[in-house]
Amino acid sequence: MITLAKGWLALVLLAALSGCATNSLFVSYPSQAQKWKTTLASEAPDQGVITKLEQSTAGGDGVLYLQELGRVTQLNGQPEASRNAFAGAVAEYDKEDASAKIQVSSLAATGTAMLTNDNARPYVAPDYERIFTRAYQALNYWADGDATGTSVELRAAALEQQVAANKRDKEIAKAEEDADENSIDLNQFDGYFEGLNAVAGDVKASFQNAWTFYLSALFWEAHGEYNDALVDYKKALEINPDSTMLKEDVERISNRMKRRKVDDGGLVAIIYEQGYVQPRQEFSLPIPTVHGVFSVAFPTYALADKPMPNTLRVLDTASQPLGETQVLADVGALAAKDLKERMPGMLVRQTLRATAKYNVQKQANDNFGLLGSLSTQIYNLVSEQADQRSWLTLPAYAQATRFTLEPGEHTLVLSTPQGNATLTVPVVDRGLTVIHAVAIPGRLITRVLPVQEGPL
Amino acid sequence: MRRVLTMIMLGAAVALSGCSTVDYGDAQARETVNTDFGSTDLQMIASKMVDDMLVFPPIVQLTQNRRPVVFVDSIKNKTTEHIDTESITDTIQSKLLNSGKFRFVDMTKVESVREQLDYQSESGLVDPNTAAQMGRQIGAEFMMYGNFSSIVKREGSTKDVYYKFTLKLMNIQTGIIEWANEKEIRKTQKKSLFGM
Repeated sequence: MITLAKGWLALVLLAALSGCATNSLFVSYPSQAQKWKTTLASEAPDQGVITKLEQSTAGGDGVLYLQELGRVTQLNGQPEASRNAFAGAVAEYDKEDASAKIQVSSLAATGTAMLTNDNARPYVAPDYERIFTRAYQALNYWADGDATGTSVELRAAALEQQVAANKRDKEIAKAEEDADENSIDLNQFDGYFEGLNAVAGDVKASFQNAWTFYLSALFWEAHGEYNDALVDYKKALEINPDSTMLKEDVERISNRMKRRKVDDGGLVAIIYEQGYVQPRQEFSLPIPTVHGVFSVAFPTYALADKPMPNTLRVLDTASQPLGETQVLADVGALAAKDLKERMPGMLVRQTLRATAKYNVQKQANDNFGLLGSLSTQIYNLVSEQADQRSWLTLPAYAQATRFTLEPGEHTLVLSTPQGNATLTVPVVDRGLTVIHAVAIPGRLITRVLPVQEGPL
Repeated sequence: MRRVLTMIMLGAAVALSGCSTVDYGDAQARETVNTDFGSTDLQMIASKMVDDMLVFPPIVQLTQNRRPVVFVDSIKNKTTEHIDTESITDTIQSKLLNSGKFRFVDMTKVESVREQLDYQSESGLVDPNTAAQMGRQIGAEFMMYGNFSSIVKREGSTKDVYYKFTLKLMNIQTGIIEWANEKEIRKTQKKSLFGM
């Protein structure tokens, strides 16, 4: 009997320890992310914060911190570090894809999650984050002048979108099946997620990212790969069917493919990332169980937190407007849609967790009296934390515009509510010049990527 | 009962304490770590290309009495992986050279060669009798080039990767493709049910 008890104790301990590798168990993730978001606002970011972020990548949520690190170092002008971090994140995705269906380690983490919260489960990057990682890595290669490396990453981004589209329907069906098995009525929670629905807006799927399609279409066009360019422009248009810019792009490429005369000159494109995507909010959701109604912490997005889109306007030195960016990816909506898609699974887990926690408390009550009951109650209160983890240095809106200019050097003025910048850019006949502009609170970061032209 | 438990614990402790080991393996051994492009793929591609080329009748005829000069252009990487295609062409080049049928010029080294020639002719430090002369290099007759593409499918617990490597040999003067071949590779990975 003693041996058996010991065995159980060991098992519980093992489960607790293997699950605790994540950092967000008791400290909410948005408050952690605030540190590196704040430091990026200054021209000379605090290297200590970045070092700390690097150290976090070793934990159970490694992939999340790697994504953040890749982005932070990219914005901070450390291309080497950024490329390594994103490569690390991609290696984590591969590991996740190849991992066994039933994993002992994740079972242990799920066990811990049963008694603590969802933050104990290792972070699994959602598809929209994977797609951004690929796009940012492509920009890293692009900035480095490695066209082959860029093309590989852009192809990988397209593959991620393809795979995501294939698996989506199956996953949602599976979660609903799980709910049926545990006889949980998912519809009863509908009323609590109106805010989430509002943030998600009319986004059709969480992984559809027209911005990355646009980026790759521009790249293919510059290299004369008109077939690939047409496919990607069309996919972007499919997601944003009302965009005149995209319609013109599709038409231009069709003409190029038919070898019709297209206005020559060089293409200048601005890819503009606005602000930071809003973090998840925590709210209290009453969950009915067989023992009564329990209040549990649940993640959601609030419409009030969502920033409004603003545009970047491009002017020439005579203050004549050349172009204005338009929103191609509403990242906040993608994140909200993703959370919504995960909701059925989360609701099932929360219901089971509420029951498990009730049982622990009841046992404490019966066996250890008032003191035990009090401490388990405090524990339950403290351990009840919503899973607020998500990649928080992504932009709120990913935008783009493009226009044609005569070959030669041009001085352009970028105007945003966060500030203005004046840049001198080279324009090559039939080439592509991309300006990458990122507006974060208090700062407008700009860089001109190497001109793309000629066959790959 | 307690003894058995102790033994299990001891075994687990030994297994988990994880002393890493280093060992030499066979460089030609089949590598099946994952579906990514690997050493076995490279070796299969290179040997297939070389074997096929050396027995192709017009090539046999061409190389009967002379050793044509070839230059290797890059192989276009159209896959979703960062692959060093130069490493593949290097292997193919070495194998063809060792067959004694072809000779190669290396376009990646033109700058270093030019520097060395300049040094020999202009520095005044090299005996003019032994200095290599400008304008005596042999022009390549053929160009070798190709494509490397892949189709990746991932659904549920299956990942399927199809690679196609195409290699062509073009006569630079006439523009005629004298030889071409392709190597297809399919790799499938299935997720296991249980794992750590």
